Formats: sequence, structure tokens, C-alpha cells
Amino acid sequence: MLREATSLADILADARVWKLKDGAARASRPVWPTGNPSLDMRLPGGGWPTASLVEVLIDATGLGEVQLFLPALVQSQQRLPGNDVPWLVWIAPPYEPYAPALVQQGIELDRLLVVRPVTATEALWAAEQALGSGVCAAVLLWLKGSDDRWLRRLKLAAEAGGALGVLFRPQRHRFESSPASLRLLMTGGCSASHLELIKVQGGQLGPIALGES
Amino acid sequence: MRAHRSRPRTADLFAGANAPALPAPTLVPGPPQPQVARAAAPRQLWYAALFPSLGDDEQAAMALPRLAHQAQRFTSFVSIEAPNALLLELRGSVRLFGSAQRLHADIDACWRELAVPAHSAIAPATLAALWFARSGQRILLEDPSLLAGSLARLPIACTTWDADRLQTLRSMGVASIGELLRLPRAGLARRFGPAALLDLDIALGRSSAPRRSFVPRERFRERCDFDAEIEHAAYLEQALEPVLERCAAFLRMRQAGIQGVELRLRHRSAPTTRLRLGLASVTSEYRRLRDVLAQRLLGLELAAPVRAIEVISGRLQPLSAASLGVFAGQGGAQARDTAVQLVERLRARLGVRAVYGVSAICEHRPEAAWRRVHALQLAAATLCESPAGTLLPRPLWLLDTPMPLPPADGIAEQGPERIESGWWDGRGVARDYYVMRQSHGAKWWIFQERHSKRWYLHGVFA
Repeated sequence: MLREATSLADILADARVWKLKDGAARASRPVWPTGNPSLDMRLPGGGWPTASLVEVLIDATGLGEVQLFLPALVQSQQRLPGNDVPWLVWIAPPYEPYAPALVQQGIELDRLLVVRPVTATEALWAAEQALGSGVCAAVLLWLKGSDDRWLRRLKLAAEAGGALGVLFRPQRHRFESSPASLRLLMTGGCSASHLELIKVQGGQLGPIALGES
Repeated sequence: MRAHRSRPRTADLFAGANAPALPAPTLVPGPPQPQVARAAAPRQLWYAALFPSLGDDEQAAMALPRLAHQAQRFTSFVSIEAPNALLLELRGSVRLFGSAQRLHADIDACWRELAVPAHSAIAPATLAALWFARSGQRILLEDPSLLAGSLARLPIACTTWDADRLQTLRSMGVASIGELLRLPRAGLARRFGPAALLDLDIALGRSSAPRRSFVPRERFRERCDFDAEIEHAAYLEQALEPVLERCAAFLRMRQAGIQGVELRLRHRSAPTTRLRLGLASVTSEYRRLRDVLAQRLLGLELAAPVRAIEVISGRLQPLSAASLGVFAGQGGAQARDTAVQLVERLRARLGVRAVYGVSAICEHRPEAAWRRVHALQLAAATLCESPAGTLLPRPLWLLDTPMPLPPADGIAEQGPERIESGWWDGRGVARDYYVMRQSHGAKWWIFQERHSKRWYLHGVFA
């Protein structure tokens, strides 16, 4: 089949080949550490993948779901010295993002954009525009529901623009198929939040013990 | 007086008068004239035209820019002198037109053609020319050394100083400028202020008087009539593309940009549809103009078939290096968007208010410690001075208004943090804040009002 390929390394270098059960293998794209060692260990490449779509299934807010991504967002803004600081776009967050908290975490507020679309389609469109624009490091999107076709478009836009797309959706979408390269299920517990990887390309599924973060 | 004479020559600055920059008015200081009489050509030659028929200010304000526009045929530097006069710099034009006499006659003929009565005079100093024109003498004076002698005959009313000052002068027995010039300088300055002296110095060409160059207001405006009426907004976009291309070329030629465009859609019977589009920054780029218009047309329901379109640009503004696309799309071979384009596109479809930034404010009351920022390009780094370490953690989500809670049933992880502030503006708060983990796992930022002892939810640690 692969007549052109000359060695195993060539085959493995092909982007279409998934390297299963090899979490330690270097990802071809840069990753951003999550700031949580136990989570980093479970993610392929050791962090949140760039240029891809990550889906977080969560019913209530307040479980630290945004906090999961904040260290990566801070890092993404400091990544290119000399170049313009990349933008972060938050689309349809459930409440107002609180500026003092973001400053505390180290987010560059001048490069944060909040978008408040009226409909879900507008939100998805805005996310596609932002992801594909090439000026955004990450796009966070909160949605009640959406269809598979739109998510596929988001994924393509994220790959084209090299941005990290994070989609927050209710848990009822758990059993639907999703083009996201990484899917997480987040539930609340009495002492800490539970995190479970339900889809990961090149990693191992299952719950993750979140340390104190 | 000596101080004025010993000023450095500023003749070099005057070079700007021949090529006034398009949007920013040029200030042209005149050079001080040499003390020694010389028959050589003066460095400046000013033509003043006074229009006595332009009575009230409103009428003059309407007419003068049009007259100035006409006058730009003769020189690139025209200045509007309130209330009813124009000043033209002629030194640069004399050679082109042959002689100053010829030019003088040509400009006067121009006013006659327009049927505007005008008094005109040419003198080597701005105010001198104006004063001669006001006196009604048609005079052509090229030699600065003759200025003082010729001005001396003019009545003091030509100066258009205020009535009180003129009255005082008359009561002193001063009726002409010659008599005024004979008065001791120090006394004159004490009595009438340095402004009066400066006027005299300017009129005599001893001091420079900056003038503002008239810049015509330009817009791009193009109308396009269709053979067949257009019923779908999607076709409008195609029809608009060539117009926008010409608009971009128009702007490029003038090295200017716009920050707004108006689109008028003309229908057969229905009233004209007007769409106003704002851009996030000054631009002359075709791609950005088209982008914004396309987004706007996307959501448009046509009231009636469109018979003609008209594109009218906003005011032309200078382009800065940052607004030139050259430096923006360095990302790769295929031109990538800039942040400005992204914001524009989002705003064109979602509305201006739906896309914003946030900034932190140094303020103890949590609800007052942030605000939305809609002017995104202007948002400068306004970092909170107080070190973040001194504060307890703040939640990522803040509720618009605190939500009343039943008495707390979770575990307080952090707190209390007392916030007591704002008594001076009537919206004072006295609260004890806690970070509380709820039984279902959510981390809340709650507070107890110290007076009422009631509990409220104010934020969520997302």
C-alpha cells in the first residue's frame, strides 16, 4: 500500500497515522503544558494540543473548567517574543469574565476579546472566524448544543489557523460523535472535581486524578 | 523689536507651503524680513481677497471654502481668514503665471467670473495684504522696504481690532496706521497688550505669522446603476466589488484611508436603504472594505429590489504605518487576517456592542474593579497597580448582580476577606467574602453583608 514509504519512521511521520498507546511520543505540533503534571502525563505530547479542537463536557460551571486551560492560555500569549501577542477569544461565556481574576492569573487583557453572539449559529460562525484567522492563540466557546457538521468546520478552522479551540458543552452530548481530538468529561465532587478522558488521539482513556491546582 | 529681527530665518519651513499634506493643515511661518531695504524679490508674496458681500458668519463659512477651492488654481497654499477673506501665497506661482501683475489680474478676473465682489491687494506680508484689501485699495507691493510707508496711509479700522481699542486710539488722536507706528513701542504694548504689537510686526513683515493651509474635503462617491434590478443581497456583493476596488485605488492615490463607508441602495418606489459601516481602524485596503460590506450584506433583508447603489466614503484620514497592510500579513504566503480584520468582521455581523474587551480597574469593590472596553485599538495596558499577591483569589466569573443565597451550607476554603469601600459615592459596600466549595463541587465566591447578615453569591471559580 505504502510503496513510497521507505522506513517505519516515514510512515510514523505521516500525519494520517495515529500513534496509539504512545503518550510519550513527541507530537508534531507544539503543546502547551496544562500546569498540572498528572494531566500532562496523560495527554499526548504532554500538554494541550495546538491547532486542534478540545471538547469539555460539563453541566455546571464552577468546577474549575476554565482554570484547566488558563496556564496554557497565559503561556500561549508569551510564546512569541518580538511578535505581536496573539489574541484570546471567549465566545458566549456564561457570565462576565472578571478582569481582576484574569490579571491575577497573568492573562494579557489587551489581547482578550469577549464575543456575545445572539444565536448558536452566530457563536459557531464567530468561533470559526476566530480560529481560522491566524491571530488567535486560543478560542473558548460555550455552547448549549450544536451539530456535528459545525464542529467539523471548527476543527478545520483550528487546524488552518493553528489555534486551540476549546468547546464547553453539556454532558448530554457525551454519546454523540465528535470530531474533537480530545474530549473530557468534568463532574463535580465533594472535595475536588473529577476529570475523565473520553476520547484522546494517541493517549489512554480513563479518569484522571487532579492534584491540587 | 531687536529680538524679532535677530530671529533665525525660517524660510526653509516655508517649502511645505507648496505641497500641503492632504489631511493635516500646514502651518507656514513667514520669515522675518531683512532690516536693510533690498530691491531683490521678497521671500513671500501674499494676495489677500476680501469679500464684502459675505455678510454674516454662516454665509461666509459656507462660501469661503468654495472660493478657496477656486483659488487653489493659482497656488497650492490658500488660507481662509475669518470672517470674510482669503489669503493666497503667490511667490511660488509668479513664474508660472508670468508676473505678479498678471497673476493679480487673473485672480481678480476669477472673482468677477464668479460674480463675487472682492477687494484685493498683494503685499509681502500676510496682514499687510489683508489690511490693504480691507481699505479697498487695489495695490501691488512687492518690495518689503516700502511696506511701512504704504501702510502708514491706511486708517486704523483696517486692522479689525475690537471697537474698544479703536475707540481708545481715536480718542488719543490716532487715526492712521502711520500715526500708530509713531507711538512708543513700550507704551503701546502696556496699553494694548503684546498682541497689538505683534500684529504690527506681522504687517510690517518683521515677524512671522503662521497660516493654516486650506484643505479641501474629499470623499469617494460613486453611483452604479443596474440594467436589471437586483433582488438578492448576494448579487449586490458582486456588483459592489468593482466600486470598492475603485474606492481603494482612490484612497491609495491620496495616501489616505477611511474609517466608515455609507452604502445607499436605491429602490424604484421604496425609500433609499442606507447602511453605515464602521471599520475598526483607518484603512484603504480593498480586502477589508469588501469583508465588512460582505458581512453586512449577509444579514440584510432587502426591502425592495435594488435599482442602483451608491458608495460614499467617510472623511479621508491619514494612513499610519500600522494601518498599512504591508506589515500585517507577514505570517505566510497566503495573506492572513489581522486582528483588526477579525474584529471588524465579527462586529459587522454581530454588532459593535457584541464584541468587546475587558480591563481591570484599581478599585476595592469587586463590581467596580472591571469594565468593558469597546475601543479595542485604544486599549492601553492599564495594569492594576496593587500587586495581585495581596488579594485573595478572584473568581473568573462575576455575576452582574449578587444573588441572594440561603445561609451557607458548604465548606469555607478561604476567607473572610473584608471589603469595605465606596461610602463616598452612595454605593458603599461592607462585606466579608469567602471562597466556598458547594456540596456538588462548584467553587463559589460568596459574601455576607455585614449590616444585614445576609448571604450572596457574587462569583464562580470556573
